[in-house]
Amino acid sequence: MYGAKLAAWMGIGAKTKGMVNDMLCERCKIREANIQYTEVINGVRTEHHFCTQCAKEMDFGQYSAIFDGEFPLGKLLSGLLGIGEPVQKEEKIQQIVCPTCGTTYEEFVDNSRFGCADCYSVFDLLISDKMKQLQGSEQHTGKTPIYQNAAMESTSKGGEGKAYRTREEEVRALEIRLREAIRKEEYEVAAECRDKIKELKEENA
Amino acid sequence: MEGYAMLKWFEETDTNDPGILCSRLRLMRNWSEYPFPAKLDEAQSRELVERLEMGLKDIGELDQQKYDCTFIDEMKELDRKVLRERKVIHSAIMKKKTPTGLMLSKREDTGLILGGDDHIRLQLFARGNVLPALWKQANRYDDYINERFTYAFDPKYGFLTAFPTNVGTGLRASVFIHLPALSMGKRFVSAISDMGRFGISVKGLFGEGRDNFGALFEVSNQKTLGQTEREIVELVGKAALQLSKQENEVRLQVLEKHRAEREDEIYKSYGVLQYARRMTQKDALTFLSQILTGENDGLLKFAEPCSIFALMLGVQSANLQRLSKAPMGKEELEGARARYLQERLPKLKEAADGE
Repeated sequence: MYGAKLAAWMGIGAKTKGMVNDMLCERCKIREANIQYTEVINGVRTEHHFCTQCAKEMDFGQYSAIFDGEFPLGKLLSGLLGIGEPVQKEEKIQQIVCPTCGTTYEEFVDNSRFGCADCYSVFDLLISDKMKQLQGSEQHTGKTPIYQNAAMESTSKGGEGKAYRTREEEVRALEIRLREAIRKEEYEVAAECRDKIKELKEENA
Repeated sequence: MEGYAMLKWFEETDTNDPGILCSRLRLMRNWSEYPFPAKLDEAQSRELVERLEMGLKDIGELDQQKYDCTFIDEMKELDRKVLRERKVIHSAIMKKKTPTGLMLSKREDTGLILGGDDHIRLQLFARGNVLPALWKQANRYDDYINERFTYAFDPKYGFLTAFPTNVGTGLRASVFIHLPALSMGKRFVSAISDMGRFGISVKGLFGEGRDNFGALFEVSNQKTLGQTEREIVELVGKAALQLSKQENEVRLQVLEKHRAEREDEIYKSYGVLQYARRMTQKDALTFLSQILTGENDGLLKFAEPCSIFALMLGVQSANLQRLSKAPMGKEELEGARARYLQERLPKLKEAADGE
């Protein structure tokens, strides 16, 4: 039954994005249906449409709680899927922007070109896998410049890959990487990211 | 750009292994004060290039050479093409519209492109397989520049460059080699793609596949991160040497069995180069490749030293056009190419001895 419930909540998620319109609740037949409940039992799939109020009154077991108050569906969904942010916000997150030169992560992916030196630290977590693929390594072992002033040192502070300005930025970057890993079905990488995000968030709290 | 009296680096003739034409080393660097060139507007690019040129104006003190400072975007199209044919600049820079500086030594062996893809692209050329020596030289230039301009550098990613393909050492080391016999073999294409596994790329100098007339190839490092500069130059040097050795072995085998045919082919090529009245670029490169092979195999001797590599660069369209006062059409250009070769190709030793 758990599988059926899970499918149901995924259906609800789709609903909140406005995929079902102008349909009346099949229970009260008065209010507009804004919850799509998909039941899959023994491979047979049935769809139901309810309004929020009826849904609240019906027994959805342990999941009833989500119909109280302000519908934190997004959070529940992402909780189930292991993604920190709801799908709708993805576009916003994709827009990690280098504060120095304005290069977005998408722009970097399109042109395979950095806009400035700071892009490396802004996109660090997102690119390190690609860098490994491309270069076979992600650690410089060659020459170090002999004349480096103190100002430069501070911009590349931390050095050991911890160049993120804030923990929040790092979490955002990890989330993109997580999504990408899931898309590519690289679950080991995804799990690693998930754990790291959790760790960072706990540290924050 | 003038000053033909002084020999350009590619006109020099004393190389130990004539199958290995030259070494080239490029170093990409960025100044920590500006975003990379693609993110700069017209005024910022100009300011960047001017500041770099000002700071580096005495760079000639490193090699006692005079340097010409110019803006590539302000040059005539023909002059830019000439520089591209001589490998001073690459096509992306040739087409660039924003201010881009060029500092070029009189011998054209040392060049700095300022505000190109990266803020600074240093390029060094020398005859022969001499990458370690070239790196030593480049290292001195690098420190000289770094003393004046703080580099964008990261302890993890090394020298930061606009393209992730250059990051780390920012070093691209190449050797230009002549592989007329190997490149005719069926297994050549797969053999050079196999070299990718060792981090080596082999590309035709004048085109891809069968269009690479003249059988000149550029062997270079694929990766720039995770290896030291010394490891890179040694790897590329070794790969070039290995290819050149194999080439010589194949040629020796062919010579043992088909000496007469080889001689015939080489002398016919010399005859065409010396006496043709019109010459396409393809033919010129193909025949020059033949006599380069013949000279290396000892089948043909020139009365005086001659850099065939310089001729291979010289027969390209923009270089020929530049020698002429008026613009030339296709046929005129082919005529000019034939004359260019007649004037420069030395007599053969036996013929000279007989006179």
